[in-house]
Amino acid sequence: MNHIPMRMNSPAVRPQKMTRRAMAKQQTREKVLQAARELFIERGYEGGTIRDIAKAAGMSTGAVFASFADKNELFDAILNDDFAALLEPMQDAVVGAASARGALVGMFGAAYRAHAHQLPLILASLAASWVRTPEAERLRRESMRPIRALVLEVLERGVERGELVQRFDLRLIADLMWDLFLAGYRPAAFDGASVETQTDRLGDRIDVVLTAVKA
Amino acid sequence: MGVRETQKLETRRKVLEAARDLFNEIGYEETTIRAVAERAGVSVGSVFTTFASKADVLSQVMDDRVDALYRELDHVARHMRGSVIDRLCSLFAIHYDFECRRVRLFLAHIAASFSPSLDSSTVPYGRNTRFKAMIIDMLREGQTKGEVRDDADLDLILDTLMGAYAWNYRLAAAGEADHADMTIIMDRQIRLIFHGLLPR
Repeated sequence: MNHIPMRMNSPAVRPQKMTRRAMAKQQTREKVLQAARELFIERGYEGGTIRDIAKAAGMSTGAVFASFADKNELFDAILNDDFAALLEPMQDAVVGAASARGALVGMFGAAYRAHAHQLPLILASLAASWVRTPEAERLRRESMRPIRALVLEVLERGVERGELVQRFDLRLIADLMWDLFLAGYRPAAFDGASVETQTDRLGDRIDVVLTAVKA
Repeated sequence: MGVRETQKLETRRKVLEAARDLFNEIGYEETTIRAVAERAGVSVGSVFTTFASKADVLSQVMDDRVDALYRELDHVARHMRGSVIDRLCSLFAIHYDFECRRVRLFLAHIAASFSPSLDSSTVPYGRNTRFKAMIIDMLREGQTKGEVRDDADLDLILDTLMGAYAWNYRLAAAGEADHADMTIIMDRQIRLIFHGLLPR
């Protein structure tokens, strides 16, 4: 039997409310995403065409296009899914941390670790993210929202604990932390740095920013 | 300079101008070399004798732009007044203003910098050594004037500032900010970072 992973915590997947047709569409979508993911990891963004992905997924290009308008949309979906899946390990890292700094480095480190074997894919997704449509941007925001909220939460808790002083807008800081985290994928992909090095480098930049708000 | 040389330079100039405009008008992915050649009024073949690839064209378009910017900036920077914070804010403001004139082009440049086929120097700010040098100079001057801690890691500060600068463009990508908006945010980020750099 072909097991297609359905993410049960994803709002789109609620069996009681979904029609059979909607479920079939969801299954097709997952199949295409999985095939695309594997193909892009194997051959890079350039190497996989919609035709190749359709073939690997065992369906027609028409079926692929029913779910995704183009390659960029496919990439966005992969990126969105990947980051949505990070929420739990990130939450775990935060819970286990002794300080705001530790929580931030921990949660971002968890992401770097999860993505270590698919950096080219992440890079291609990040590249696509710079030229996306407004609708795609909206979807991306939706999927990143819980993780970005977690960053802000870490800072707020830091202030509550008296570890950090709110001299600056916490949202400004959270946004900057997030950008520095995303920025950390690129150099690691190009110089083949280990996850530890990648995380340490981000830690250094986080320290620069946190120094401004340390109690 | 021989006729051949002059012609080659002229082709290069026309191609870069056409590419610059097309990348900005319709996007990098959407632009073909054929379209560039047509706009430039040259043959596709002559484009390829001057440039290795479309990515190479984009790379050289950006280099040329940076050259133009820095010819002006080298004069201006010398006369910048105020604290190091103020001067840095001005420097980034100038860059946002400049790049937002052809924002789609700049976004294409950022996107292209993620391509694994390029070497690591082809970052929007990786190859721009003059930009980085100016910032380091300002930071060093800040140390001399007691505005920046002596033990501050200047390269780290530079990286953090450049990260903030580059990723603010995602707001332009989302169509949510113009250069003035991004400048306001960058100002705040600079002040945030500098708060930690003030001598104890």
